[in-house]
Amino acid sequence: MTALLTVSDLRKAYAGVHALDGVSFEVAAGSITGLIGPNGSGKSTAIDCLSGFQKLDSGRVSLEGTDITGKPAHLIARAGLMRTFQTVRIYERLSLRDNLAIAAQQFDPATWVDEFFRTRRYRDAIEASEVRANALVDLIGLRKYYEIETGILSYGQKKLVALAAALMPHPKIVVLDEPVAGVNPSRIREIEVALQQLNGAGETFLIVEHNVEFITTLCHHVIVLEQGRKLTEGTAAAIHTDPRVLEAYLGLSPEMAEAEMRGAA
Amino acid sequence: MDISAVYLLQLTLNGLALGLLYALIAVGLSLIFGVMEIINFAHGEFLMLGAFAMCFALPVMGLLYWPALATAIVATMLVGFVVYELLLVRLRPDEFERSILVTLGLSIIIIHLMQYLFTATPRMVDSQYGFDGIEIGTIRITWTRVIGAGASIAAFGGLYVVLRFTQFGRAMRAIAQNREAALMVGIRPRVVARNAVILAAGLCGLAGAAISPIQLVTPYMGQFLIFKAFALVIIGGLGNIPGAVAAAIGLGLIESWIGGFFEITWQEGAVFVIMIVVLLLRPDGLFKRGGMRVG
Amino acid sequence: MKLAFALLVALAFGAVPLITSSNYIVGVGVSALMFTVAAAALNLVYGFTGLLSFAQLGFWGIGGYATALTVMTFGGNFWMGLVYAAILNGGLALVIGYPILRTNRHAFVISTLTFALLAALIARDWVSLTRGPLGIPNLPSPHAFGVVFDTTHKFYWIAWAFAVAMIAFLYALCSSRIGRTLVAIKQNEPLVRAQGIAPMPYKLASFAISAAITGAAGGVLTFHLGIIDPSFLDFYYMQTFLIIVIIGGAGSFWAVIAAGIALSALPEVLRFSADFRMIIYGVILVAAMFAMPAGVAGWFREREVARMREAIR
Repeated sequence: MTALLTVSDLRKAYAGVHALDGVSFEVAAGSITGLIGPNGSGKSTAIDCLSGFQKLDSGRVSLEGTDITGKPAHLIARAGLMRTFQTVRIYERLSLRDNLAIAAQQFDPATWVDEFFRTRRYRDAIEASEVRANALVDLIGLRKYYEIETGILSYGQKKLVALAAALMPHPKIVVLDEPVAGVNPSRIREIEVALQQLNGAGETFLIVEHNVEFITTLCHHVIVLEQGRKLTEGTAAAIHTDPRVLEAYLGLSPEMAEAEMRGAA
Repeated sequence: MDISAVYLLQLTLNGLALGLLYALIAVGLSLIFGVMEIINFAHGEFLMLGAFAMCFALPVMGLLYWPALATAIVATMLVGFVVYELLLVRLRPDEFERSILVTLGLSIIIIHLMQYLFTATPRMVDSQYGFDGIEIGTIRITWTRVIGAGASIAAFGGLYVVLRFTQFGRAMRAIAQNREAALMVGIRPRVVARNAVILAAGLCGLAGAAISPIQLVTPYMGQFLIFKAFALVIIGGLGNIPGAVAAAIGLGLIESWIGGFFEITWQEGAVFVIMIVVLLLRPDGLFKRGGMRVG
Repeated sequence: MKLAFALLVALAFGAVPLITSSNYIVGVGVSALMFTVAAAALNLVYGFTGLLSFAQLGFWGIGGYATALTVMTFGGNFWMGLVYAAILNGGLALVIGYPILRTNRHAFVISTLTFALLAALIARDWVSLTRGPLGIPNLPSPHAFGVVFDTTHKFYWIAWAFAVAMIAFLYALCSSRIGRTLVAIKQNEPLVRAQGIAPMPYKLASFAISAAITGAAGGVLTFHLGIIDPSFLDFYYMQTFLIIVIIGGAGSFWAVIAAGIALSALPEVLRFSADFRMIIYGVILVAAMFAMPAGVAGWFREREVARMREAIR
């Protein structure tokens, strides 16, 4: 397996708390990799540090061989790592069309001079962006809302928009921060299907989630964090029955751990 | 340019008095910001109303200073209460720009209303103390300045006690530090905010009443002071009350020293240049953003 | 279409000096045009980029003084004066913008306010340069290609051409991808960063362009008035710009232009005492903030959105 994203020995502490205490893992190209762990395990911090929204104390992050450690968020995005946010972030007052167009804007070669003079380069870039946007809009099933401002969509629909936006610039990897948190169960299935289709077409995902079922359905490989360290990693099935993982989650929901054990046996 | 020690002392005392005045205004602003996360553009008008109240109360009370001062403070607090209940209560903490514009509108209304009713003619205020003062060597300080300074210090002392030891004070600090946590513990933000506004208005009213015998009273008098107070609140660290006090006293001293040693015309400009340089160099304030730490 | 309508209106405005011989009306027209340009510039930095900048007042005044001084003290002409006003203010905006844009919203607003006040104080106190409270009177009429613009009617063409050019430029900017990026920054800055765009250059550019345009507009109005003094930096001007943007709708391009024309002409129509008029301004400001925070344009937009919301249920 070729490692697309390699993360080594991430460390971050604030106010004496070790949010990340030496975390290392790899994300294989073309995979859907899950990152799970109970509250306080460091998942969100890891994502924020990876994507440039928080600073690491030490450690290295490299994307397809290029070192992106400590770079500002916008440069990491340009390097090919796109992310979504736990509390969904879209441009609520702009149309779906505009939302997708802005997401691709930085990645085409046209400048404002090109735009002003409507050069070939500009027109080609716009066309390519529209083709991509159309494909993604159909994939997430929101065609009829294309011209409508996204603020009126439901929460789950907004999460789909955020996903599509992240995919607009043909990223190398998309990091999803709790993509189904707060979403209706029916909608969750839609998101699952969309992700599977995209993965089938070659997209790589790193998904941080609380919803263990979602992770185990979708992910080939799962990494488990606990208190800032990597507890274990393996296939979804292996994680499901690992007693250490169950123990880590035990404090959170004993009923769920019981059910897991029953399911495994 | 007399640089004798006496002169320096006189300047310093003047500077301290000025600084205390600035501090009264800045602390009120800081309080309101800490509790409501808004900057009150109409804050200077509380001061002006306090001065006008003093102006009208004194003749009625036979030029007796203390009753008139008390009246002025109460009157201003009343205005603060009304302003809160009518307007400020509708502002949410995350609407910073909107709150600025609302209070700006309020400021315009109050100033021009006062001007419409009472004209812009500056008024002199006379009290029982007149121009009497105390003399220490060649230094002369009028009673009104002394009392003003004393009242300010007393007010700060009282504020410290309130913030540190009363339930109300603790509630204010809690909200300033962590709004969500405070709400979860059952602190009612509306009550705390209202009381904070009333308190801040009272401090301003005290400042206005205290300077009314010293300075001409006009509807615009609050405006100039308030712009400096805004900068002081930022320099001191937003919501940081001791920081605001420190910045205020610092500014008063600097202003007084500059005025004493250089041409008076440059005094204001120099002070603003200093403030903007500080703002540019340390835009987050010289001290930490406060959660209203009081000790 | 809106653009065609706007062009028609622009032409109509060009005809004003031909329609009336009243110096007074034409003079009001010049003021209205300059206030509208300044408001449009404020709309760029506040309505589109989300930065509440009180520094506009400072740029306005500095622009006026720069233009006047170019002609009176430094021996240049009016046109160069306008160029210098624009460049000086644009440069100033970059210099102070860089540190204060990196801080939080509160410090930004207050810092811009302090800057404007500082400008007012310098105008009043740097007597050797600005002649202090006496101001700089008797500004000569501009001239070009042998034509001297010595009447209000003739000067109006300058103001009109300037306003049309500035508004056209701003329109092109606001409807371009750059304008769209500014709006995105205003709505959701972290998302903009996550999409590979660095917000700072955009904010700086918006701040500087707005400053340059405001400064030049101040220069034009100064020469119309024939004098500049520290009262040109009165807070009253800032309040006017703000009210225009707020009534029109922050972030709505044409609505602000329309509001600028309407609100500049209105006070002349409603001749109340100055205080009463200001009280009404204040009441409008407060009322708008509660009833119509997004202005007239915003109010219409909200109804559109509510309608769409119903339609997709």
